[in-house]
Amino acid sequence: MNDHDIRDVVIVGGGTAGWMAAAALSRFLNNGHTRITLVESEEIGTVGVGEATIPPIITFNRMLGINENDFMRQTGATFKLGIEFVNWGGLNERYFHPFGFHGQDLEGVHFHQLYLRARKHAGMPDISAWSMSAMAASMGKFGRPTDDARSPIRELLYAFHFDAGLYAKYLRGYAETGGVRRIEGKIVDVGLRQADGFVQSITLEDGRVVEGDLFIDCSGFRGLLIEEALNTGYESWKKWLPCDSAVAVPSAIGGDPDPYTRSTARGAGWQWRIPLQHRMGNGHVYASDFIDADAAEAELMANLEGEPLADPRRIRFTTGRRQQSWNKNVVALGLSSGFIEPLESTSIHFIQSGIAKLIALFPDKRFNPVERDEYNRQMRDLYEDVRDFIVLHYKATKRDDTPFWTQCRTMDVPETLERKIDLFRAKGRVFRDGLELFATTSWVSVALGQHIIPEDYEPAVDALDEARVATALEQMRQGYFDVARQLPTHGDFIRRAGLSPNAPPAPKNELPTFSFEAESPFANMSGAPV
Amino acid sequence: MRDDAIRKIVIVGGGTAGWMAAAGISRVAGNIAGLQIELVESDAIGTVGVGEATIPQITVFNALLGIDEADFVRETHATYKLGIEFVDWTRIGHRYVHPFGFYGIDMVGVEFHHHWLKGLALGDPTPLDQYSLGVVGALQGRFAHPRPDQPNSPLSKLGYAFQFDAGLYARYLRRLAESWGIVRTEGRIVDVVQNSESGHVEALVLQSGARIEGDLFIDCSGFHGLLIEGSMNAGYEDWTGWLPCDRAVAVPCETGGDRQPLTRSTARAAGWQWRIPLQHRIGNGYVYSSAHISDDEATATLLDNLDGAPLAEPKPLRFRAGHRKKSWVGNVVALGLAGGFLEPLESTSIHLVQSGIARLMTCFPTRAFDQREIDRFNALTTQEYIDIRDFLVLHYKATERDDTPFWDYCRTLQPPEGLADKLDMFCRNGRIFREHNELFTETSWLSVMVGQGVQANGYHPVADLLPDAETLKRLAHIRDVINDTAGNMPVQDNYLRSIGCDLTPLRRAS
Repeated sequence: MNDHDIRDVVIVGGGTAGWMAAAALSRFLNNGHTRITLVESEEIGTVGVGEATIPPIITFNRMLGINENDFMRQTGATFKLGIEFVNWGGLNERYFHPFGFHGQDLEGVHFHQLYLRARKHAGMPDISAWSMSAMAASMGKFGRPTDDARSPIRELLYAFHFDAGLYAKYLRGYAETGGVRRIEGKIVDVGLRQADGFVQSITLEDGRVVEGDLFIDCSGFRGLLIEEALNTGYESWKKWLPCDSAVAVPSAIGGDPDPYTRSTARGAGWQWRIPLQHRMGNGHVYASDFIDADAAEAELMANLEGEPLADPRRIRFTTGRRQQSWNKNVVALGLSSGFIEPLESTSIHFIQSGIAKLIALFPDKRFNPVERDEYNRQMRDLYEDVRDFIVLHYKATKRDDTPFWTQCRTMDVPETLERKIDLFRAKGRVFRDGLELFATTSWVSVALGQHIIPEDYEPAVDALDEARVATALEQMRQGYFDVARQLPTHGDFIRRAGLSPNAPPAPKNELPTFSFEAESPFANMSGAPV
Repeated sequence: MRDDAIRKIVIVGGGTAGWMAAAGISRVAGNIAGLQIELVESDAIGTVGVGEATIPQITVFNALLGIDEADFVRETHATYKLGIEFVDWTRIGHRYVHPFGFYGIDMVGVEFHHHWLKGLALGDPTPLDQYSLGVVGALQGRFAHPRPDQPNSPLSKLGYAFQFDAGLYARYLRRLAESWGIVRTEGRIVDVVQNSESGHVEALVLQSGARIEGDLFIDCSGFHGLLIEGSMNAGYEDWTGWLPCDRAVAVPCETGGDRQPLTRSTARAAGWQWRIPLQHRIGNGYVYSSAHISDDEATATLLDNLDGAPLAEPKPLRFRAGHRKKSWVGNVVALGLAGGFLEPLESTSIHLVQSGIARLMTCFPTRAFDQREIDRFNALTTQEYIDIRDFLVLHYKATERDDTPFWDYCRTLQPPEGLADKLDMFCRNGRIFREHNELFTETSWLSVMVGQGVQANGYHPVADLLPDAETLKRLAHIRDVINDTAGNMPVQDNYLRSIGCDLTPLRRAS
């Protein structure tokens, strides 16, 4: 090891973010000389709203070498194939935003362009009929994708719904096995280094002092270190995303869980419905300028499918992001770094992505500002990219039935989003700037689902014979339909795979696998794809 | 049909090469209207049929022919093969396996073996063998098909081939080829008629007086090269200097039932002995240098080193390592032993036939016989022989053995240039480069170089991207996963029975 190497990493807070960070770092800093400590207090509750995820979670689990079945059993998880949006484009409308892809490109022309031409000239089913994940979801089916090049099943992409509290507990077990030290205690003071204002230590209620070289702030909205100690500053996005409150309540679930999240737009916000194995997670996200807390809670309670299983819990937030996620020797992860309502289930992804970037740019004790700036730039891009995609859902609507929706429909949107909407409206074009999280499928789903209909399609489409394309589209659609029909129901899949918390561990019939993926030699980059 | 298209192909000789050519060509070109394919062979002439062990490329050939694998395995009394075990090659008492498939898993963009070399430098002495599922599984007598659908399983890239009875294989292919319309003519060739101007072969004359005309002749007549040498005088490039073994004696013996899915090659005083376990018997042979041991002594050595009682009289063979200077001259293309001979140390005989067929189909001529295409065919063929030769010489050159004059000769031999470069590159920094798509991959070179004691003095610097502790942890993890996976593979015998093979051993008639 080197004199400059970080020796002590201190994670402040033990919610989802804290334990995700602890688990990942225990795997990647397992070098014999870096100590990882997590400080949390059982007295302080966690928010744990992030019960729905997006497919990159699979990469995170793989990175940790987590067995997916085991993880699902221990967190009461269900599979998620996408999100159903109800009442968003207009009242009594619904559309599906699936994971994965729409159809197959033909001769280098994007599928959605072919679809746009076909749809211009004839009545066509909704584009989700060409998504493996959406077709399975619409039938309540699930199957894990295989590599079979001949079957559309390989296009099925999924994520999970899980109990965030159980997830944190699961990761705690992982992290503690990996050598992470957990200290129980309430933080009462933060000691800064005189010379440069870096955080030197934290002091607990019982007088103990925990010192560190790098601090990871997972303390939630308040930002105990990043804001309260370092005054980093926060950028509010309320003018684009006026929701600032939520009320959440679990309810009993009758029957098998659906393999998707549902988001139903309400008069001044929207309601989530997240089916787990053992209960339904529900919540109402709303703008307090348009509806008061009691009314919002009443609306939620009136729209539950089963008995409430706990008292409703109220949450306040300001949408936006910390000016710098990484300031001095403090890196904020999770809510302390920013908040965007969970309309597209991105909360856990922000954490995961922050961890991955931190590992990629892991500092030494000299804290080179170049690494910090790069981290902050990447995180800002990610937050802004997600923000634009969320704003799209509010802006692109026909609704004018409440003052809330009228304001959203007529508001000015960020310039970056305006440009994307204009490009799509002209010829259905979607460009991914850099490495945006939401790809073409996402854009096409939401834009078409919310009435941004392109005026034209790309000229390249006309090089393909229309009748031939029509036949191909119909064959694809049949393919997705047939495969989806043959899949087991989501409930059967969970039972057969032994994924329910009460099920005995499944007999070990799966192949043993490497806990990490091959990273193929540089030489392969110059050759033809294997 | 274009007016200069080949109308008739005549295949001369019906051993493994002849019937592979017949089946392969009729499968690919058989549906061309107006194209006729005829094979001429004589039951009076025996076939050599040593090529009982194969390499994974055979599965591609079988797939081309649309062969059902289980049916093929039953009919040819085949066993599976996951690699070759080399005994006493490096030094007496030493053994290693050259597996098909891959070692470990590539990490941070550099090949696995650099991480293994780093592990060695950090004090983890685990031999390379233990990072190959092929080796670990085979040594436990286990076999499973690869699972490309499970990219994170070591099974994803397991490679396999077969060991089979070459006579039954030729018969199997004959049945296929005949069902696709190949005409087989029985008869001994007594004369070859050549065009006086072009020198092209126009017709074969059989003992019966029958005359067989053709546009393209494929010479599968064996070592002597009836057409390629007898009529076309192609010339022979002799490599005896590099590969001094020039004789073999072969004998099948009873099997004791131990069917590890491996071919075994054991170095002997003046050459090496093969051991190829089939379903009913074991194929054995001693490949030797007649300059260093007498025929009688070689036969005695072979008979002294069998698993069970011999099932036939030992059969002697003579050959010269090397290849026809031109495998294609005029309208004659040589395949198999007629094209060249390299000892079956790496089971390449059948592959050379197969790749010759593939090349021929790629350069398939018209009756105009474009000389540039022919030149290209010959250049590629020569390169293939050179590549394999270099890999074979590696086995002899990289040895500590000096216990017999034969081994001393091999050890001190000046290696061919390509081999010298490869050795040098590996010794410096563990680098292995695969040239011009050569048959043996980086894995094969690695396996044999490491197995034969060639030491790499460094590894790829990028391997240091992984912290030392992480490297050691991952190496241990890879070993664990490979061991677990091997434990889940079926025992080969059980697998063979499950697809309907009758494993009753042949016994010597008493």
